[in-house]
Amino acid sequence: MKTKGKPSPILALTSAALSLPAFAVTQPVETELSIMTSSYKEGDIPAHKVLTGSDERYEIDIHQFHVLTPMGRNWGFSFNTSRETMSGASPQGTVEGLDGQPALIMSGATIRESRTEIGATTHRYFDNGYMGIGMSHSQENDYEADAVILSGEWDFNQKLATLAVGLSYSSDVIEPTDALLFGRVEKENKHSGSFTIGWTQVLNKTSVLQSGISLTKHDGYLADPYKLRDVRPDERSEWAVSLRYRRYAEKSNGAWHLDYRYYEDDFGVHSHTLQTAWHQNLGASFQIVPSVRYYSQREADFYLPFDDFTLPLTVNQSSDYRLSTYGAFTFGLKGIVNHNNWAITASFDRYISAKKYGLSDSEFEHPALVNFTLASIGFDIRF
Amino acid sequence: MELYQFPFHAMGCPCELRFYGIKRQHVEQVAMRCIEEAKRFEQKYSRYRSDSVTGRINQSAGTKPVTIDQETRAILHYAGVCFEQSDGLFDITSGVLRRVWNKEQLCIPLETEIEKCLDLVGWTKVKMTADTVYLSIRGMELDFGGVVKEYAADALSILARSASIIHGLVNLGGDISIVGPQPDNKPWRIGIVHPTKAENPIAVTQLHSGALATSGGYERFFDIEGKRFSHLINPRTGWPVDSLLSVSVAADKAVVAGSISSIALLQGRDGLAWLNSSGASYLAVDSELGCYGHLVTGDDEFS
Repeated sequence: MKTKGKPSPILALTSAALSLPAFAVTQPVETELSIMTSSYKEGDIPAHKVLTGSDERYEIDIHQFHVLTPMGRNWGFSFNTSRETMSGASPQGTVEGLDGQPALIMSGATIRESRTEIGATTHRYFDNGYMGIGMSHSQENDYEADAVILSGEWDFNQKLATLAVGLSYSSDVIEPTDALLFGRVEKENKHSGSFTIGWTQVLNKTSVLQSGISLTKHDGYLADPYKLRDVRPDERSEWAVSLRYRRYAEKSNGAWHLDYRYYEDDFGVHSHTLQTAWHQNLGASFQIVPSVRYYSQREADFYLPFDDFTLPLTVNQSSDYRLSTYGAFTFGLKGIVNHNNWAITASFDRYISAKKYGLSDSEFEHPALVNFTLASIGFDIRF
Repeated sequence: MELYQFPFHAMGCPCELRFYGIKRQHVEQVAMRCIEEAKRFEQKYSRYRSDSVTGRINQSAGTKPVTIDQETRAILHYAGVCFEQSDGLFDITSGVLRRVWNKEQLCIPLETEIEKCLDLVGWTKVKMTADTVYLSIRGMELDFGGVVKEYAADALSILARSASIIHGLVNLGGDISIVGPQPDNKPWRIGIVHPTKAENPIAVTQLHSGALATSGGYERFFDIEGKRFSHLINPRTGWPVDSLLSVSVAADKAVVAGSISSIALLQGRDGLAWLNSSGASYLAVDSELGCYGHLVTGDDEFS
């Protein structure tokens, strides 16, 4: 008979069975190839909020390619590349408008630029997990970034729990265009290191809980060189905690996802992100995923609604809308068509942001708060 | 999406693959790989072949250790855990007891004959190192039969899934592993073999994922001197077990379902109590054809 504290036979046997070779971590046995094209469009800024420059904002076309292929029995290799082409104008400063509200100084001519990123990762699979090392390089005409990433995953307790750890380091170089003409910095560096740790726990047959912590440290030039006045500390420490819950609903043949993330940094920014999505299977080959995401942010300690040109250059200040107080909603809809060895994914997201959506309060709303749409279509194949 | 069925014969049983797919060619290719894998298990672990791993280990009993590969070591390790979990009832060395208990036998064996045979039984008499196994007494035998067929069902199912079969099942002589649910995401309806009438299932269960294994059932008995004996022999006493007629277990893995159902039968009269404490989802049939357990619920009425 079963004695107290002894695992039940089914648990003991399941645990023992996991050392049988067929149940080893499923390294890729097929090559996976995916391509995706996305179009990102920011809404124009109302003309009355623009003091000078163009009211047209960014449009970005994104093309991504990814391939993952097994190498021998225990290794996997992946390669990905993406190319973005951007055009539009960006805010360079904020001053007090005629109505006493902040007004924007936008870049005049439409900026056209592109970014190319390539990355490669190799994974070594073990019986109860994997370890990976990857490198990436990103290039723009005024920005270059190199990163190295280490990652690992280990299964515990008959794969009912997984520990994931990641370490990354990136070194960036910024060389603003027309530096001499506009008195911008000529060449600056930035270094970032980040550590993430996550624990995934299978709670029961239908639900999974994931929790994670991430710590990131940046140092170097952290300001925006294209702004008229943007002075920031040369160090930034960030940390975030996240919780993700997944629940499969057998009756309705769907799955419910609920994610929460809290973020804080020593610029004084903190934010909450809450996202929920419903993954509905329709027959064998279709899936539809509606989602809503809410985001609320408190402004940085040195955020100013208007650029203050009287302050000395040693005093931190920024009127960047990304450091302001605001809230945002994203409404998303995704559809997936699945076939034997290929899938087509199409998604559409609408993002709106405003001061009034935020949980924190602030006197002025930043006039450059963005609304955007993102449409993507992707194709995956395995062979 | 269409259903393709591939019947074949392996490990002494009728087997079948049921895979859904769009292109016949792709499904056939995967099925051929799975059948090859089943044949590989059969050749590697058959106790009837002298060139199999089992044959080599058994021929070297009492003389020398035999080098084994990682797969065999893992299977032996698993068998060892079954031995512990069953307090010695599930013992892959107990096959030698068939020498005194079989349908060719004209009279009930003498206690001395049984004793002599029992000397050759015992998992603790199997000596293992990192890459060898040694049966310490001449005449001892290993029989992987109680583990390998179920494990092969799991392995084939994983192989099919890794080759993009999303909807399908693998059936190796009644040990079933689900590759994935039916295309409309409905569970598979699986008949549980009637212990006395092979053609009619005693019940039907629905499986969305995981595995189902059945032990016992018809044709597993023989008569000596007018008495009916089970083919299952308790390795501690050397006598056939007065057990449940059949036990079917649903679990994540066929290999686990198979060992749970075998151990339950070997428990004899305590089988039901042990099943209840095992944490398993089961259907047990006793000698009066009474059904117990909660594997079959709701719409799946006993037929």
